[in-house]
Amino acid sequence: MKRRDYWWRRSIAAQIIVLFLGMLLAVQAISFTALRTSLSDHAHRVLPTSLHNGERLLQTLLDRNAQRLIHGARLVAADYGFREALSSNDSETITSVLANHGARIGATDAALLGTDFRLRSSTSGRPQDISLVAYQLATLAAKSGQASAITLLAGRPYEAVLVPVKAPVTVGWVLMAFPLDEKLVVDLKGIASIDLTLLSRAQPSDPWSVGLSSLDFGHAMELARADWEVEVRNTSMTSLSVTGEEIGVQAKLLSAEHGPGPNPTVLALLSLSIDDAVRLPQDLQYALIAITLIAIAIFAVGSILTARHVTAPLRRLADAAENVGLGEYASVMPDTARNDEIGDLSQSFEQMRKSVAENQARILKLAYWDDLTGLPNRARFRDAVHDAIRSATADEMVSVIMLDLNEFKRVNDVLGYRVGDLLLVHVAERLTQQIVRTGDIVARLSGDEFGLLLCSSDAKHSLSVAQRIEKSFDSPLTLEGHRVDVGAGIGFACWPQHASEGDGLLNRAEIAMYAAKLRKDGPLMYDSSIDVASAQSLSLMTELRQAVERNELRLHLQPKLALDSGQIVGAEALVRWQHPQRGLLAPVHFVPFAEQTGFIRILTMWVFGEALLASKSLCNDGIDVLLSVNLSTRDLIDPDLPQKFSERLGQYGASATRICLEITETAIMDNPQRALLTLDRLSALGFKLSIDDYGSGYSSLAYLKRLPVNELKIDQSFIRSMHSDPDDAMIVQSTIDLAHNLGITVVAEGVETVAIWDMLYQFKCDEAQGYYMGRPMPISEFPGWAAIWRARYPDNSANRLRNAAVGAPASVAHRNPPQESL
Amino acid sequence: MASCADGAAIDIVVVDRAASPVSNAVVMLEPTTGRLSVSPMTGVRITQSKRQFIPQVTVVTVGTPVTFPNLDTVRHHVYSFSPIKPFELKLYAGVPASPVVFDKPGIAVLGCNIHDHMVAWVIVVDTPLHVRSDAAGRARIEDVAAGSYHLRIWHSDLPAGSGPISMPLTVAAVDMNKRVTLSVDPSK
Repeated sequence: MKRRDYWWRRSIAAQIIVLFLGMLLAVQAISFTALRTSLSDHAHRVLPTSLHNGERLLQTLLDRNAQRLIHGARLVAADYGFREALSSNDSETITSVLANHGARIGATDAALLGTDFRLRSSTSGRPQDISLVAYQLATLAAKSGQASAITLLAGRPYEAVLVPVKAPVTVGWVLMAFPLDEKLVVDLKGIASIDLTLLSRAQPSDPWSVGLSSLDFGHAMELARADWEVEVRNTSMTSLSVTGEEIGVQAKLLSAEHGPGPNPTVLALLSLSIDDAVRLPQDLQYALIAITLIAIAIFAVGSILTARHVTAPLRRLADAAENVGLGEYASVMPDTARNDEIGDLSQSFEQMRKSVAENQARILKLAYWDDLTGLPNRARFRDAVHDAIRSATADEMVSVIMLDLNEFKRVNDVLGYRVGDLLLVHVAERLTQQIVRTGDIVARLSGDEFGLLLCSSDAKHSLSVAQRIEKSFDSPLTLEGHRVDVGAGIGFACWPQHASEGDGLLNRAEIAMYAAKLRKDGPLMYDSSIDVASAQSLSLMTELRQAVERNELRLHLQPKLALDSGQIVGAEALVRWQHPQRGLLAPVHFVPFAEQTGFIRILTMWVFGEALLASKSLCNDGIDVLLSVNLSTRDLIDPDLPQKFSERLGQYGASATRICLEITETAIMDNPQRALLTLDRLSALGFKLSIDDYGSGYSSLAYLKRLPVNELKIDQSFIRSMHSDPDDAMIVQSTIDLAHNLGITVVAEGVETVAIWDMLYQFKCDEAQGYYMGRPMPISEFPGWAAIWRARYPDNSANRLRNAAVGAPASVAHRNPPQESL
Repeated sequence: MASCADGAAIDIVVVDRAASPVSNAVVMLEPTTGRLSVSPMTGVRITQSKRQFIPQVTVVTVGTPVTFPNLDTVRHHVYSFSPIKPFELKLYAGVPASPVVFDKPGIAVLGCNIHDHMVAWVIVVDTPLHVRSDAAGRARIEDVAAGSYHLRIWHSDLPAGSGPISMPLTVAAVDMNKRVTLSVDPSK
């Protein structure tokens, strides 16, 4: 569930303040509630008692009234004159005495009754009502000699008394009635603070009407509407809500039950406001509010200070951390000296800042500096070149020299990576020594590639520096006891002469360097012609791809012949490119390029496939020869090659034994381990393996012995010169002998004259290949050539070969034949 | 006894509502027509002693003077509002100078204006045939000539202001018994 984003959650200070004030208000609310509850409990405990006391007080007040009335009535009844008037039936006097005495005690009505309780005379203007009251009191009076009761007189509550007139026996009754007036209510309120409401009704079926009340009219009316039948018998307090206010009421029946006839009822309701009792006294409320406000103020100030105390260092830390985030590692974190949690946090941040700074420094170094030589790397060099160009003045030039070590890979392979690394370090030192001007930079651009930035340097100066560098490589290095010759291809380019900006300058210098490597003729300045060559290479690549698709490649075969019998024992498969514009291209025009780009693998597979087809086709023509296919360095390091060959064999239903794979000595030596692995697998598949161009590399026969090799092809440079150079002849002869001793057959390449053929025959060389016997030819021409060869020399006599060269006249023999590696 | 008498003897038993005998009931016989001659009595006294009238009920014939000697140390104010003899003996001690003569038949209620609780009755009769019931409620009137009479009976417990109860009684020449129930509550 997503947490709702309240404004105060965004700030710890706000949270602290909210928490503090919240707790304060909670405590205040709890104490207020407790106070209220306590007051309420107290009120509910005390109120019934108060009402009960009030009830007793009411009774006392009523009794006192009754006593007063009785006393007054008795006074009249005992008055001699009254009795005399009564005996003489002097009604005028009787009435005046009654009025006189009644007024004395506040009775509104006074009357004389006969012994039969019939009205004889009355001061009242309502004799009917008085008769009714007399009737109500009569029974009690007859029984107990006197009576007092609360009853209704003309609908209003009255206290009425009836006392006998004795002369000395009872000769009549005096009745006096006294209205229950406001005084009663005021007294009760004044003495006991209790509200009194008198309800009355003339008979039970009537609704209650309000006689008197200290409550306001609305409250009293609402009380009158309640049902009091049950409550009258209930001596305890009843709570009820009257016009929204809760009051406690105790009911008391004031009127007595009489005999038959109308029974007016008068009910006293004593009430207290529960709400008032529960309500906090005004001054206490003010005090509580004041305390709360003061506490809020104190808490607010306290929490704000606390929050500041907490958040200010956090804010400082956040700012400092933000600075670190922006890459400002120098400033030390604040508050690290504190001993609290913030101090801990600060120290952690400080630790982090240091680590980040160190890491940053290391990363920068890694990014811009070469670990091995301590020189700037390519990225740094590029920046420096850009900076130099940016800050160059109008007549200043900037030059970049690039050099790539020759044969570095071989040093690595033969002498090990340690020596290789040492070599790089020494080269770096030598280059650094050539820098004599400040602002010039030496950088290691990649494995064995270095760059020099020369500020304010024109072409002439750059060339002199480049030549100085080359010269410095003349003296060989001694690394861990090994003498190592160092050479390098050196190229350079100048800004703005050769390029308009930094990257272009670097590119041009690199092009010049590659060109220099190829030409092996010292430092080379960039020239647009070199660039054209490289542009041509690009288009060549595209064309070469299309050549395969458009079927422009051709397979040519050059025969291999057995020296002793003159038999056609094999042929080397060679690729030609029937270029649509340039005509038939020899391998030298595209194979080196294919090797460089890796396209050679596709070429090899193509040749292999074509060779298999050719083998079949020749077989059909009755020519059973072993076809040789050349493998390149890249083929050798391709771990999938044996698998691919195996698949292709399956496709054509051909046998591996029909194919000999030729690998140049240098290809093997580029990566001897992997080469051995691949050769073992190829040998296991059944291919014959041949070492091509033997003698052009550095490998020893002892090493070759470890390879699953069946055949050795002696490099044609030895063969061609063996006739004129006895040393070479010696090398050839001893190589043949050694190979034979190792059980390896020997093939001589570049056999161009019968003299060489003869010498090879003498040396017991096994096979020969060369223009003297046959040039590379399309497959279609091969059966024709074979027929001629056989036709002329049917007896297979080697000696007859002396005059048997097919299409290989002596004139050709001395031409420098194109070097063919494929 | 009957042999030596002219008339019959009448035995009356007075009982209350609970049939208990009522003593001190005044029983009177008055002929329906005519009048039996009576003479005033003499020496009748109603004393006030210990704030009581003694006796409480006094039966006198018409014209009898009654004296009210005060034996108490406090004064009394004897009065009567009864129509047969309203009088007043204002605060006095000792024996008043003149007696009160009750010259009309009827019942006079006497009180003391000083002491409300003091009450006495004087029953003034106009017939010689009257007697008071004894503790057994019996009242015997002898020598009653045959004829028709009003039998009247009064008791102080009868409601105030009410006169004696009255009933016709025909007397033959023989003795007779009569039982009369008074509407009074028992044993007051």
